Amino acid sequence: MNTICYLCSKPLKSRLTWKQLIMYEQQAVICSTCDSKFELVKPEEQKSPDIQALFHYNEAMKDFLHQYKFFKDIVLKDVFRSEIAKALKNADAVIVPIPMHPEKIKTRTFAHIDELLKAVGIPYTHLLEKITIESQSSKSKMEREQSAQLFQLKPNSIIENRPHILIDDIVTTGTTLKHAKAILIAAGAPSVKAFTLIQG
Amino acid sequence: MRKRLFKQRTKTYRYIGNLENPSLRDFLAGRIWLREHSPFSEELITQHIQLGYIATLPGVKKISKMNSRFKRMNYICNRCANNNPNLFVTYYCAACEQTCVYCRHCISMGRVSSCSDLIKWVGPTPRKAANHLFSWTGTFTPYQQKASKELIESINANRAHLIHAVCGAGKTEILFPAIYECLKEGKRIAVATPRTDVVLELAPRIQQVFPKTKTQALYGGADVEKNYAPIIIATTHQLYRFEDAFDTIIVDEADAFPYTHDETLQQAVTKAKKSDVPIMYVTATPSEKLIYQIKKLQGGYSFIPRRYHGHPLPVPRYESLWRYTKQIESTRLPKKLVQWTKKQLQENKPFLIFFPTIALMEKAIPLFHQLEPNIQAVHAEDPNRKEKVLELRAKKVRGLLTTTILERGITIPNVQVAVVGAESGIFTSSALIQIGGRVGRSFDCPTGDLVFFHHGISVEMDRATKEIKRLNNTELTTI
Ligand SMILES: [Zn+2]
Ligand SMILES: [Zn+2]
Ligand SMILES: [Zn+2]
Repeated sequence: MNTICYLCSKPLKSRLTWKQLIMYEQQAVICSTCDSKFELVKPEEQKSPDIQALFHYNEAMKDFLHQYKFFKDIVLKDVFRSEIAKALKNADAVIVPIPMHPEKIKTRTFAHIDELLKAVGIPYTHLLEKITIESQSSKSKMEREQSAQLFQLKPNSIIENRPHILIDDIVTTGTTLKHAKAILIAAGAPSVKAFTLIQG
Repeated sequence: MRKRLFKQRTKTYRYIGNLENPSLRDFLAGRIWLREHSPFSEELITQHIQLGYIATLPGVKKISKMNSRFKRMNYICNRCANNNPNLFVTYYCAACEQTCVYCRHCISMGRVSSCSDLIKWVGPTPRKAANHLFSWTGTFTPYQQKASKELIESINANRAHLIHAVCGAGKTEILFPAIYECLKEGKRIAVATPRTDVVLELAPRIQQVFPKTKTQALYGGADVEKNYAPIIIATTHQLYRFEDAFDTIIVDEADAFPYTHDETLQQAVTKAKKSDVPIMYVTATPSEKLIYQIKKLQGGYSFIPRRYHGHPLPVPRYESLWRYTKQIESTRLPKKLVQWTKKQLQENKPFLIFFPTIALMEKAIPLFHQLEPNIQAVHAEDPNRKEKVLELRAKKVRGLLTTTILERGITIPNVQVAVVGAESGIFTSSALIQIGGRVGRSFDCPTGDLVFFHHGISVEMDRATKEIKRLNNTELTTI
């Protein structure tokens, strides 16, 4: 079992809390000091009624995302599992991760959004696939809005007559989610909402 | 010969023959580098592997330990030598489509995984530059002179050495002649220290003294230069990326955090140097363990009890600051601290105020801003730390609040120093001696205020004061 904080390496005081016992919550993998540096997005701060974002993109979150995605520190998938579980466990919907290009998955060695869901044990379905390999964040806002389709429907996908929830790590302009949503709606999804870890 | 002619005639082939790429050679010599993070093309590296000039080894080595009942996997990182099972992660790797393992301990230098290669240069050695210029015009005190001579003697005799010099004795200068002697013999030298701040302070000074010699400063976030540098000034952390590289290695401030707490850093120093050369140490506050080690190795020892300007070390004064945590937490700066700060502001003297924790310091910042908006705070994770220290020196900032991160390596003329919560565990006697060492360093301002604000006097505070007094009273032997 892990005994040090994944973010600052300080020893973790491992104690089983009542909350963990009663709520079946997972044991924390980061210390309370590191935990306190993340800022939750309040309901009135959400940018769109269709997108639920968990955290603000503050310094601590920038560092977290950098270490997770660019240092490829896959264990960090577990850091927010309680929060993600709370937000998605009872959603009666088809969970659809925003896909990565297969080439990109190979260079990163893992699909970082899928891993967030796997860490919580939430079943998901890949209904979309990425067409372009270039990254969204390297483009200006205008370029992003003008850019051609990013995704297409995966061949032989079956769209259920249930609400769909798209999952992404960070929402900035919302273009990515807009593209993905348009495809799912066109394919017959009755409603499409989104959940992201971070609001940029 | 025939081969060469053939290649020349068919111009579609680019002849590479057995000649190594000089830039790649100069960069990689002595280093152990993550292949996928190399500043050279993959094609060039493959060519050199085929030529037998580059060797590869897996990033993580598996050691399966069998004992009577359990079969447990253990790993060791081939870059940082970490073998703590808590710092290895087993995961399904999409690149290999199988289970791979990576090391978390050195991940900030680029992830080393069981499926990533580390590369080493095993080809022809770089040509050594012959003309080194030693342009130092300073003069030594008799103590510095003696220590400098003793260090060179130890290097020549291939034995370990410890220079124990009080803060402000001018220990960096002592290294200059020794470095020059090594350069003349074509040796490669590393000056390593646990602290980035010390690297930043040392590197420009050493480069200035050896203007014709390539010098590289290596620390987290530094640019990677693609050349061969006979002088490397690096954090001990950066030495993970060297192997069998140095003919002489000097560890400055060996007692600083995290060197003494992290065994892999000590191994990094050992791995980075050539196996048969000893380690040279320089510090103001050697641990008993280090002194014992040097004795056991029958190494050389130089002791400098006086500052270069001949004035005594500032002796701390104690001021009680009862319940300072509670006061600051309820947004009130303790009165004595306010008076002290106001005094420095009125007299226009730069000041440092040390805090035991970042949390307490952050609560205090807005309270200090009510006294003077131009006060800044620094801590280990502050990316603008370097700039802020320079601004204090240039008097663009009036004072800095800091954690122990600035206890060493920095020199600010006429700086006044206060420690808030000097009784806190983080302020060990050596930390307090180092902090006190910031005061009165310059020739023009050899004195200054050093105050320990406390909520009760600790053993470590007394130990520091006793040691400072002992050093000040040390008989000056004639040299
Ligand atoms: Zn932590
Ligand atoms: Zn490592
Ligand atoms: Zn792999």
